[in-house]
Amino acid sequence: MTLGLFLLRRLVMILPMALFIVFCTFMLVRISGQDPIHLLTGPTASAAEIALVRSELGLDQPIWAQFGLYLLKLLRGDLGNSWITGDPVLGDVLACAPATLELMIWGVLLGALIGIPAGLGSATRPGGTFDQVTRTLSLLGFSIPTYWLGLVMMFVFFYLLGWAPPGIGRIGMMHSPPPTVTGSYLIDALLAAEWGVAHSAFGQLVLPVVCVTIIAAAPIIKQTRAIAIEVRASDAVRYAVASGLPLATERRIVLRNSATPLLTFIATEFTGLVGTTSLIEYVFAWGGLGQYGLTAITSGDFTAVQGYVLAIALFAALVLLVTDLIVIVIEPRASLRP
Amino acid sequence: MLLAVEDLHVHFISRSLRNRLRTARALNGVSFRCEAGEILGIVGETGAGKSLTAHAAMGLLRPPARLIGGSIRFAGRELASLPDAERRALRGREMAIVVQNAKSSLDALCRIGDQLIRLYRAHRGGGEAAARARALEVMAAVGIPDPERRMRAWPHELSGGMAQRVLIALALINEPKLLIADEPTTGLDVTVQAQILDLIVGLARERGMGVILITHDLGVVAHYCDRIAVMFAGRVVETGPVRAVFGAPAHPYTRALIGATPERLTIGRGTRQAGPPPPNLYALPEGCHYRDRCPVAGPECAAPPADRDLGAGHLAACWHAGAETSAAKLLQSRDGSA
Repeated sequence: MTLGLFLLRRLVMILPMALFIVFCTFMLVRISGQDPIHLLTGPTASAAEIALVRSELGLDQPIWAQFGLYLLKLLRGDLGNSWITGDPVLGDVLACAPATLELMIWGVLLGALIGIPAGLGSATRPGGTFDQVTRTLSLLGFSIPTYWLGLVMMFVFFYLLGWAPPGIGRIGMMHSPPPTVTGSYLIDALLAAEWGVAHSAFGQLVLPVVCVTIIAAAPIIKQTRAIAIEVRASDAVRYAVASGLPLATERRIVLRNSATPLLTFIATEFTGLVGTTSLIEYVFAWGGLGQYGLTAITSGDFTAVQGYVLAIALFAALVLLVTDLIVIVIEPRASLRP
Repeated sequence: MLLAVEDLHVHFISRSLRNRLRTARALNGVSFRCEAGEILGIVGETGAGKSLTAHAAMGLLRPPARLIGGSIRFAGRELASLPDAERRALRGREMAIVVQNAKSSLDALCRIGDQLIRLYRAHRGGGEAAARARALEVMAAVGIPDPERRMRAWPHELSGGMAQRVLIALALINEPKLLIADEPTTGLDVTVQAQILDLIVGLARERGMGVILITHDLGVVAHYCDRIAVMFAGRVVETGPVRAVFGAPAHPYTRALIGATPERLTIGRGTRQAGPPPPNLYALPEGCHYRDRCPVAGPECAAPPADRDLGAGHLAACWHAGAETSAAKLLQSRDGSA
């Protein structure tokens, strides 16, 4: 099976999943008992006004007709317009996504850079001092409530110590965003050589990224430790020890044999972190996709919720597909059979 | 003296669910010697401690296995007191082991040739080209057809027998002074088995390599080994020159073992009942561990038997050794003629 065929198969397999998710989200928001009409029209609206808004939004149609209409639009690449702002949802999602990605990529990257060496270190002597300390810290990272962590960080480092800028978004008030290339303010500012902007964007990034890093590193430490202990006990590593290979080689064999399960775990964690990140975005007024989704849910903006959920599902599918491709490259036993 | 093991004790120490220490006395005073150029066969039923002895000699014990006492001297050096780095340098270079589980012991993420080259260069340094030439040579020597092509193979592409041969090639690539082969020819057909054993015997004779051959196959011992050590419940119960032990087995367990070999079963005489359960290592009986299964056990066997010297290096740990029993005479006459 060639790579092209493999990709095609995997992409085709995403379609029914996406359809199922669209269906579930569509129905769930409608049976949630929320009726956004009163929010939209205001408390003083007359019955005639309410009926008018209802028919404008298509809410007077039967639910299946509404769903069919939504699907037809979806096929044309139209996610509908937000009921609150009237803006196209697709545009909103695309505008918000880079902010979230920036936060998550930095967070998971740093989380992996801390978590993997810590986990490997723990696994060399399970029960040792280093292991005990790392496990306690990891447990702490597991049990801290996300939004509380964000608030405490802001309280300590902005309010008490004054080291960090206020959590009011992705860039200080004195600066305007750099020209968009990657969507990350920090990288774009560096590319445009706007050093002041870059400095401000970096400062804004630090606290929320540290929050995501703490949340991301905890399970990575735990998983790395478990995987590495298993790999170290495997016949292959025992034989490497028995044949007197140098310590560095032995460590490399352990790392290399842990790579595939680790990568798969981090990818799953990455997709799962979208939810956690939305709380951090909320605390730091980050203006990313997570915050967008949270606002949409609490305000009963049905089309925005649907667009948000679909975007996250497709993102997860993409991340897992890329992971599988990497595994195929690094793992000689992997085949292209999905 | 190449390898001298004296009074080796290894215990498995674990905790029960009630947090009580549980000790399995796996090796209870194992002693044997192996000279340069000599082939020592170690036989015994499953659980007798053959592989554990091999691992202890290589310094590969891992928790819960613990070296409790005894001495392992390799070429005059006491291994237990040797620093970790020096032991590592010995393993795979001076003393090599062929482990069981050939397929899973190879590094799944490294091509066969690269594993051979890696091992050679780890101990000998030198260039890639010299290592490659040596790898090809040793692969051809262990009967791997088309070595050039096999160098590029991944471990998962090999059959069990081929993996076994790769493992033997890995053990021999650095021309060790001592080879410990733990059932090296299981899974190989008879012609290949003979080819590999002939190769090992040849190396022992030509280069003075000491060989410890752990096997279930008494035929292999009779044909290839100079001396034999019979193990039962973590102790060498009888040892001596192959001819002497097979000619006049002095320990009842040795007699049972010889009586249980398949060719005797087919003849129909001297048949023994299929193996009774091995003794419980958590609660070994006082005195002779073979007492419960022994057909000639008497009241004197409640005290631990000392090694009895039967002349010409033939030792047996049995109170009745030397006293000719009718069973011994029967077997002696049959083995003497065989």
